[in-house]
Amino acid sequence: MKKGQIWETRPLECWDLAKEIRRSYDGAIAGTDKVLGQGMTSWTLDWASAFPAIRVVEDNPVGAMMAAQDEPFARNCRLASEVRGWGREICGYHNTCWGAQFLGNTADGKPFPLRNFTVPFPCVCDSHIKRGQQARDFKPIARWTNDFTMYIGERDEKREEAMLDHRNYNTLKLLNEMEIVFGQKLDDEILFEMAKSYGSINDMRSEIAYYMTFKPTPLTVKDLYSFFQLRPSPKMGPDVLSNFWKSLRDEVKFRVENKIAAVGTERFRWLEAHPPPWHFLKYYRYMERYGAVCLGSQYSNLRELIFAEDGSYSVRSFTEPSYEAGMELSTREDLVRFMTTPDARSPRHWKIEEYIEPDKLNTMMRIYNCDGALLGIWRAGVGCTLLRKEQAMRLREDGYSVMVYEGAQPGDRVDLDEKRMLEQLDTWMESLGYQMLDDE
Amino acid sequence: MIIAGIDMGICNTKAAIMKDEKIIGRSAVPTGGIDRPQQAQKAYDEALKNAGIAAGDVERVVSTGKGKFDVAFASEHYTETVAAARAAQYALPGATAVMSAGADETLSAALGTTRLIDEFVLNQKCSAGIGAFLEYLGARLELTLEQISNCDGPDAGEMNEGCVVFSELDALSLLNAGAAPEAVMSTANRAAATRAATVLADLTASPGGNVVLIGGLAKNAAFVKALEARLGRSFTIPEDAEYCGAIGAALCSVKGI
Repeated sequence: MKKGQIWETRPLECWDLAKEIRRSYDGAIAGTDKVLGQGMTSWTLDWASAFPAIRVVEDNPVGAMMAAQDEPFARNCRLASEVRGWGREICGYHNTCWGAQFLGNTADGKPFPLRNFTVPFPCVCDSHIKRGQQARDFKPIARWTNDFTMYIGERDEKREEAMLDHRNYNTLKLLNEMEIVFGQKLDDEILFEMAKSYGSINDMRSEIAYYMTFKPTPLTVKDLYSFFQLRPSPKMGPDVLSNFWKSLRDEVKFRVENKIAAVGTERFRWLEAHPPPWHFLKYYRYMERYGAVCLGSQYSNLRELIFAEDGSYSVRSFTEPSYEAGMELSTREDLVRFMTTPDARSPRHWKIEEYIEPDKLNTMMRIYNCDGALLGIWRAGVGCTLLRKEQAMRLREDGYSVMVYEGAQPGDRVDLDEKRMLEQLDTWMESLGYQMLDDE
Repeated sequence: MIIAGIDMGICNTKAAIMKDEKIIGRSAVPTGGIDRPQQAQKAYDEALKNAGIAAGDVERVVSTGKGKFDVAFASEHYTETVAAARAAQYALPGATAVMSAGADETLSAALGTTRLIDEFVLNQKCSAGIGAFLEYLGARLELTLEQISNCDGPDAGEMNEGCVVFSELDALSLLNAGAAPEAVMSTANRAAATRAATVLADLTASPGGNVVLIGGLAKNAAFVKALEARLGRSFTIPEDAEYCGAIGAALCSVKGI
């Protein structure tokens, strides 16, 4: 038994299936026979997969992966972007991914798969309006655009309706024009299957988030992030992913019922605000040496539960409340509405915490039975938003211990002092009376 | 009970021998480069000699500082912030916060009532090394530590307050423009204080009225003057300010965290 072990633990049985799906991911999008595009797909489901040979590659995971796997190459990519006039504070995902385009090859030496179209849209957090510009500037390619249906201030349902109409119109226009430009027919049946799968996967995600509120947690956020790109993109076909998430949900439920922990030494539970430094996920394992387990963040878990004013909460269904449950999905427009509606000022959307419900993290801390919070202050990129220090103050007012660290961006190694961050974590744990279990 | 605390910083290694929570011996030696373990031993040996005791009289040796794991003969290690917090409580019963400004690191911590530390802030990587920079610049300007400490005259001109590399370039520009070394040093002291001040100001918890300043820079009167002016507050500075890390580590071992 491991030193300090409190709970029974064992590896997840789903790992093998997850790895198999992940291995097939690149194969499913690669190939010279595919029309590749740049865009953001995962929020709205991977509509491109309903075309016979159109695939969309999101630059976030590509850029983060490069930074994590090959730092010298990622550094060259950033420099390649910088010398073309892209500021270093532009989101690191972009600079790394598109730097590779400028260099002409990917980290493994293969030719960079040039994009044939781009679908940028603005985002409230940072430089998303610049999405895809590197690809557009590089060579003339088709460009469609979309909008981000978020606003601040008092809720205005008419405004939301108008924003959604605008977004739906743009999406329908995009799909229709793609059929003309690329000479491919969108298969509405596949889109329909994906929409169903998308809804059910999200509902299972919500249930898993709920099970993570139990002590000991059956799953850590490190595990959850490993599965992130398996959702909801049906590159393997909707059934495979639905089955995976069902297996994971069932396994997590079983672990809760039988008190099987993700980390057998769990004695300190913490949450984060936003994405971690993707190249440095080892800090999660480092914290586990103290028996400290991260359960997630408003980025990963906020959307999954409904919080009532009286402090109660429930598991959110994807179709509630932003989409009418059981609504008929018979036309392409229905499907597009299904895809886009949850993004309109949805309680599911983690941006809402930033601007409209700034105390959500306090609520999550209570529901997840947490002891502390770790807040990253990013200078750019996703998570580079307002209110982080204020968030720390609110948490402290509720008696939670908070550590703040600074870095460049989640998708970029520049300026994150890994050693200093670990030293800060040591200080945080030690100041709360925890020692590394190996030292006790 | 006799406990030895060793604080291995990036410039100097300090040792303090504590008997029943009173200092009976201390010493400081340069940390050096690759011979850090030997320097730790040297600081310890000199502190023992200073205390008039033998190593066998010491119940345990504990360490802190950037090089705390290079003190091979230490049985316990404490982070710099925790050691600083304990030292502040020792130096000033009723202390509400501590600020430590050394060769490499600047830190602040709001001390708690139910736990030792309520909140802490460490400097960013890009603003590290202010103590080492001031010492280096002083040496380049052929000023002694005492002279550096007295440099609180008018500014020679603009100097970057965010990064010591930029500060050094500005210092050279000022010298090239004909500024006196003392004026350049005064400006550097002020710039360093401005940079360090943010570490205390970044606490979201109130630091309260009794803030203890420790670390080598607490001995730099010009820096302290500029820091107090910048923050609009005064500090309590212990007599053994540069030894407080070592003292705090020893106290952590006795009192716990």
